[in-house]
Amino acid sequence: MTEQWSLVAGHLPHPLLAALLVAVAVAAMAEAGWNARRKHRSSVRTEERWAAGAAFGFRVIGVLAVLAAAFEPSLRVESVVPTRQAVVVLLDTSASMQVADATDAQASPVPRIARARLTWQQSREALRRWAGAGLDVSIRSFSDAISAHSGDPSQMLAAQPDGGASNLAEALAELVEASPAAVVIISDGLVARSDAEREQVRSTAQALGVPITTVATGAPHLVDVSVAKLRCGEFAFVENVVAFELDVESHGLAGTRTVVELRRDGEVVAQKSITLEQDGTLQTLRFERAPDRVGQFVYEFRIPEAAGETTTTNNRQAFVVNVLRDKVRALHVAGRPNWDVRALRTLLQRDPNVELLSYYILRDWEDIDREDRTAKLSLIAFPTDELFREELGSFDLLVLHNFDAVRYGAYLDNIATYVRNGGALVVIGGDLGLATGEYAARPLASLLPLDTRRPTGLDRSPFRPQITDAGRRHPITAWLARTPKGWGQLPELDSFNFTGYAPLEEDMRAATLLVHPDLRTSDGRLAPLLAVAEPGKGRTMVLATGATWRLGFAHDLALVSGSRPYDLLWLGAVRWLLRDGSSERLVLDLDRTSYRPGDPVHLGARALSASYEAEPDAEIEWEIRPLDDTARESGDPMPRGRWTTDAMGRAQSTLGPLSNGAYEALAQRVGAPADSGEDRVRRVFLIESPTRELATIDADPGTELLAELAAYTSGHALAAANGDTLPLRLALRPADANERRGRIEARRDQPLWDGWTALIVLISALAGDWLLRRRYGLT
Amino acid sequence: MRTKRQISRRTWLLSGCACTGAAWATPTRARGQPTFNPTSFEPLRIALPQLQYPGRWNPRPNALREWGLETRLRTRVEVRREPVIVRAEDPELFDTPFLYVAGEAGLPAASPRGEAQLRRFVDLGGIIIFDASDGGTDPGFERDVRALLHRALPGSELGRLSAEHVLYRSFYIVNRPMGRTRAADHLLAIQEEGRIKILFIPQDLGGSLARNAEGVHTHPCLPGGAMQREWATRLAINIVLYATCTDYKSDRAHVETLLRSRRWR
Repeated sequence: MTEQWSLVAGHLPHPLLAALLVAVAVAAMAEAGWNARRKHRSSVRTEERWAAGAAFGFRVIGVLAVLAAAFEPSLRVESVVPTRQAVVVLLDTSASMQVADATDAQASPVPRIARARLTWQQSREALRRWAGAGLDVSIRSFSDAISAHSGDPSQMLAAQPDGGASNLAEALAELVEASPAAVVIISDGLVARSDAEREQVRSTAQALGVPITTVATGAPHLVDVSVAKLRCGEFAFVENVVAFELDVESHGLAGTRTVVELRRDGEVVAQKSITLEQDGTLQTLRFERAPDRVGQFVYEFRIPEAAGETTTTNNRQAFVVNVLRDKVRALHVAGRPNWDVRALRTLLQRDPNVELLSYYILRDWEDIDREDRTAKLSLIAFPTDELFREELGSFDLLVLHNFDAVRYGAYLDNIATYVRNGGALVVIGGDLGLATGEYAARPLASLLPLDTRRPTGLDRSPFRPQITDAGRRHPITAWLARTPKGWGQLPELDSFNFTGYAPLEEDMRAATLLVHPDLRTSDGRLAPLLAVAEPGKGRTMVLATGATWRLGFAHDLALVSGSRPYDLLWLGAVRWLLRDGSSERLVLDLDRTSYRPGDPVHLGARALSASYEAEPDAEIEWEIRPLDDTARESGDPMPRGRWTTDAMGRAQSTLGPLSNGAYEALAQRVGAPADSGEDRVRRVFLIESPTRELATIDADPGTELLAELAAYTSGHALAAANGDTLPLRLALRPADANERRGRIEARRDQPLWDGWTALIVLISALAGDWLLRRRYGLT
Repeated sequence: MRTKRQISRRTWLLSGCACTGAAWATPTRARGQPTFNPTSFEPLRIALPQLQYPGRWNPRPNALREWGLETRLRTRVEVRREPVIVRAEDPELFDTPFLYVAGEAGLPAASPRGEAQLRRFVDLGGIIIFDASDGGTDPGFERDVRALLHRALPGSELGRLSAEHVLYRSFYIVNRPMGRTRAADHLLAIQEEGRIKILFIPQDLGGSLARNAEGVHTHPCLPGGAMQREWATRLAINIVLYATCTDYKSDRAHVETLLRSRRWR
């Protein structure tokens, strides 16, 4: 250890102030020097010459004392020890290091990690030499994550590699700050799945700027067939053809025939035969399916095990697909064209997910009587029978907009059946339909959340609706509760159908979301404006006004979160009516769809009432079921249980370790009908080993990449399969200035300006300068 | 001696009658009852407003009244009997997403506030119908309309409306647009976001519809006479139906496709 001395400033004033101070100091000394010189030449008396010199001396000391007070100089003493250069060994602990391969077809396969261990053992002499040369060797592992290892490196090598990825680029990037003198990578080199990842590894290695010595642990010969790559979306649309593509890669099995299966929830749904090609050749297969129902499903590709395969883990890959509703099919029926009809049509038509068919009554019987028979009309008889009787069930949403339904009374029973079977119906008011009592027929009236059995007439007095408690929570109107002034900042409505509450509103889980601010029904409640219900399997909504178009077209229209209130109201309504995921009332939550073996699975549920209030004390039964034979054959007991939701309507369980396989989580409200989709939910998830890491396991590309890295960085490229050991003289980065100077072990600063002495020197020097000048006239 | 004041039967009856009368006289809304009679009410009628501006804003008086009447007589659309007049600066401009602007020879520049209102009117979904009452003889109105649109809707230009457009078959099948004149065989329009925002009629549609107090048409239709007037009326009907139903008629073309591709729930 050596000691190094240096002078440092304890305080640095602002640069301008510092410059000013120095300038003043130089000027003061220059002035004193000039005076002393002038006096020295002009004076004949020795005493005066001496005084002039002394005054100059006092001035210099005084100025230096002022500068010392300003810059607070200290004497720094540092204890420095010589620096040892660092060498970092990066060990690949991803699952591909378990793969056994061989140097040739006759040799026995050896796991790659075993080669790594052997190389490390045979390199003891090199490690001893490195320590003797002042190199500190540290070891880190890299797979999904990077971790430093302290202790005997052999212990790390003894562990079974099982990482799901090989993040070499990240491991190298983490070394930038540590700035080692050299890096040693022990890996099979399968650290990049694409050209972009490969380029990232190269560029990171170059940016690190240190020699990299690589030890490739792979060997050229292996027997394997794998699902190398999937091209499958996470989403598909029901009854729409979706393509699932995979690449099959094989080694050592050229000419072998095999069958690739596509399974859904464990059941084989398609298969194709192929003949495996030359080593490393990718064979692309395409499976087209049209999912027949909405929901989450586990799809899986499987290839049977071939004789002598290195691993069968990569013979299958599962993935989760969310099958969504196809484009929403809406039938918009209006009794009379007006601005409200125009607004809703424009909105629905603008939505690319809505396939809209409109049916507007453009002429009345009287118009037909007055008709000029010679005038060529574009009106074509609409296929009402086809639409309302034969094909009604194919629509997801039926909107009866200011529609005088009695005219089509023969179809009202069909509409009621459509709703009970799961259809969504909207009835919008105006001067027809509700106003004239067109929905009085019991089959349909009993499914609507408002009492439509009598004509309501039409009140044209402007009003601003009030939102109810249910409305504040309901997805159709919750946005209104979040606006500062509620409806107070929105336009008035100028038409109102004065209906009442449905007699069976409890039975059909009806909720009133908006009410008239003044008018009251016979039972004293504010008259309903917007109400929803869930009769049978369907959903219905009644809007007792034909004036909501004013929410999208007004002089001082206030936007809510950047959207027109009209859009928020109706898009919310459509989402709820069509049971959009955001409108579900029993929600099953999984934190992800794929877990590693041993990971805890957090399963939770949220229950909401019909008015979208958090539902406390809801009884929910849940269970886990295996979906594929792997999960079934594990013999694990399947978790199941019963929840009672808390005050926030939530419940949660953490599942213990499950074996590899595909599972479904099911939950339903206790006592719910078996066919009630509303009260049953399902999610799927996978417990899987890192299959993606093992998708391509041929070591040759990895060995090439490692050799490239070594070449780029002037390191050594070694191959464990050839018996190479770590070099005795490792390629190192030249030591930089800091490393040459050594590491500072201790440091102390001794202030030179602090204390009484410095103050006395300052005052004495300035006083002496002043006195001598006064005494001898040195000005 | 009566220790307590007693209420006579007559007082009871008079008080009861007075209370009943007062209750009857009280406005029903104050009692929480509807103020309308469910069996007798006015239908929802739409207005077809006309823009008032300094100058000759109404060169074809009564044209809109006739337009509304013909619409009521021929279709199920209920139009107000009396035309509505608005100014560009009025908040009432937004009472209806339809605006009729007639003019001849020229159109004075609107105020900045008026232009801003017109821009917002169109942006929110309104449609403006410009009707050149000169019938194609004076380019002044079209020039001024283009200038207005250039300022209010920068980047948008009037273009020729395709003969295949749904406007020509929104109710009647109209092969060629006609008004008082047949100066052009096309309409001009600005079409954006899948709809017509601005429609320019060079043929003086208002001139073909206008009648005087005696119910006689005020302008002859040239050169086609009564038949041309009928075609002009049909175009007017189609414009209202397009304004209220947009391109509803284009759905019809897809019906068979839609039905074929669907499945039963």
